[in-house]
Amino acid sequence: MATYTYEHIPDQGAKAGVLAYLATSAVVLLLMMVFGLLMRLEQAQWISIGAIRFYELMTLHGAGMVGIAAIAGASIMWHFLRQYVDLSSRIFVANLVLFLVGVVMILGSVLLGHFHGAWTFLYPLPGKSMGLWSPGAAALFMGGLLVIGVGFLLLHLDIARALVARYGNFSRALGWPQLFGHDDGKAPPPTVVASAMVTVVNVIGLVVGASILAMMLVNLYVPEFDIDPLLAKGMIYFFGHIFINATIYMAVIGVYEILPRYTQRPWKSNKVFLASWTASTLMVMFIFPHHLLMDFAFPKWMLIMGHIIGYLNTVPILVVTGYGALMIVYRSGIRWDMGSKLLFLSLFGWAAGAMPAFIDGTITVNYVMHNTLWVPGHFHTYLLLGMVTMVFGFMYYLGKPSHEHDDHLIDRIAFWLFTSSVLGFTMSFLYSGKESVARRYAAHLPEWVPYDRIASVFAVLVIASALVFIGRFFARIGLARHDYQRAPVARSVAA
Amino acid sequence: MIAALARPQVGFRVLGALYLLLAAPPLRTSLEATMSGHMLVQIPLLAAIGFVACRLLPVARQERLLDAGGGAVPYVVLVVFASTWWMLPRALDDALASPLVEAAKFISLPLLVGLPLALAWRRLGPIGRGFVWTNFISMLAVLGWLYIAAPVRVCNSYLVDQQESAGWLMVKLALLLFAGWLASLFVGGGGNPALSTAEQVAPPPAPSRDCGPERN
Ligand code: HEM
Ligand SMILES: [Cu+2]
Repeated sequence: MATYTYEHIPDQGAKAGVLAYLATSAVVLLLMMVFGLLMRLEQAQWISIGAIRFYELMTLHGAGMVGIAAIAGASIMWHFLRQYVDLSSRIFVANLVLFLVGVVMILGSVLLGHFHGAWTFLYPLPGKSMGLWSPGAAALFMGGLLVIGVGFLLLHLDIARALVARYGNFSRALGWPQLFGHDDGKAPPPTVVASAMVTVVNVIGLVVGASILAMMLVNLYVPEFDIDPLLAKGMIYFFGHIFINATIYMAVIGVYEILPRYTQRPWKSNKVFLASWTASTLMVMFIFPHHLLMDFAFPKWMLIMGHIIGYLNTVPILVVTGYGALMIVYRSGIRWDMGSKLLFLSLFGWAAGAMPAFIDGTITVNYVMHNTLWVPGHFHTYLLLGMVTMVFGFMYYLGKPSHEHDDHLIDRIAFWLFTSSVLGFTMSFLYSGKESVARRYAAHLPEWVPYDRIASVFAVLVIASALVFIGRFFARIGLARHDYQRAPVARSVAA
Repeated sequence: MIAALARPQVGFRVLGALYLLLAAPPLRTSLEATMSGHMLVQIPLLAAIGFVACRLLPVARQERLLDAGGGAVPYVVLVVFASTWWMLPRALDDALASPLVEAAKFISLPLLVGLPLALAWRRLGPIGRGFVWTNFISMLAVLGWLYIAAPVRVCNSYLVDQQESAGWLMVKLALLLFAGWLASLFVGGGGNPALSTAEQVAPPPAPSRDCGPERN
């Protein structure tokens, strides 16, 4: 067995680019949360903006949230990966610029062109608006996605270049020599393994996504070029599923890097860790049919594959990461501060969010639950309490004024408020789903409205606590640039 | 054989022979008889001849040509336009109908596609190359789909079933190229195979900013 010792790497300040990524994410996140609240209020019948506005907001909310999740995740990955390989700042910034260009295109398409075909742009909806939006508006939306995709493709190509330059090839970056041969304890660190995985799957997803976008753009103007709708759906969900999943695989790097600094115990890239990342590299690409379980026209083997891999892929990285975190923390006398608390909470949120998906990934359950609010219940849990919470933890870590600094009371209150209100908010989704409330309905039946009202109250509290986190981050953004020790030393180490 | 090819004199002769073979009626007409042969064999081979020929030129000459054109990007743009042109059904028809266009095809593919691509390739870093590859692959797949989905016969010279089989070939080729490109990332050792990973990890690049870790 290989042995692992903790190798201390001093805390580094963030590059300006990383802070620009985080600031962009924070602003867009707040705005999109408010849009989400407006949708909930509309369903609760406390405001009435009308169905068209609702779907415009839903389109922006979906696209915007997925976009900033990717941007925020990329900033965490880039910040830490840069400490092992030589990444290009120019490409990193270029991605943000392309992202902003894409955002402007999408905003124009939705707000001026009134496109509201949802972020999933499912074929043939964008081209068949029945007069509600023009082909130009749909083209602008899909063009915006394409521009954002090009930015991420460049970023991943740069990461691929840097990984190959340092490790020779991706097999080594994923630790295959240690996984399949003798584990000499010299496998690449978790950050490198995770970045390699994300790069492989995202490049594949982006190329498929770009292809279907190009096809749909042609179809928009020359409808005679028919697309098989099932093929289109498959390609869109292949891309969409990979892209949104990759955000959490990028963000979890924050957990791998930051928690060990608190307790000075190593995060081991042992065989189990490597195996789980390699397995997920493959599985994340074959799991997308879980979105298609209701499409009986799909070949049966694909649906069964989605079912089985959906079960399997819930497990490896999540369990390995959760177990790893417990090993880091257990009896370490870790000093809990906002950063470490949020990161730890995020693992719980990720696990809690995966459970409903596991249940819904069962074909028989899916017939009943799919397209109910159960599904938003699942992904809001793992995105809000998992992914976004990792980002908040990273923000607190970067901005912590000194390793001995104590958190303010208001932050500590905000932590508990956030935890409980997100749970309340997502439970309302899940409960509505259990009661068969359909998702993506602007108007709800009277029986459904009470849940919507409860959810709206929780949503306000979520936004209030997020405001505290984000306000604190902006107040400390100047500190975040500097190199100094942030993680407080655990009692077991200090003693 | 391979070693011999590396010597420019031999290389140019082999390329010249291949070029003449492609241009001579027996092979030319049989390749042009099907759309797939025309688009997916003859045209790529002509471009490849230009590419390899350029590689055989002395490096200094290549660099001079590259500078004369203003770097890699203009050449890539040229390649994109010239190659796109020969992907149009119209262009294929014209080449079959008029000897002049046919001659233009035989000249422009090596000179305006293969050669500039080989020149630009030298300067494109790994990112540029990856970008060209990924774009080319997705465009090839989309083009294949266009040929399959086209509601009408796009060429006068080829029938609809030819069109469809060419389209499927393009899609399959795109998948194959993508798989091959990805696989190439997993093997080989362009980097520092000698250095074991753990040794490299130890020293993080020195923080570039002033304040050391001791602040506070
Ligand atoms: C205060 C926080 C949030 C609120 C109030 C909120 C609210 C909503 C609502 C009401 C919907 C529509 C549900 C329906 O189908 O009826 C929705 C959908 C969605 N939300 Fe959120 N959300 C929040 C945070 C997030 C976050 C943090 C993310 C991702 C990082 C996210 C991603 C999405 C996505 C992808 C959809 C699906 C859109 C679609 O169906 O096309 N949301 N959200
Ligand atoms: Cu999915």
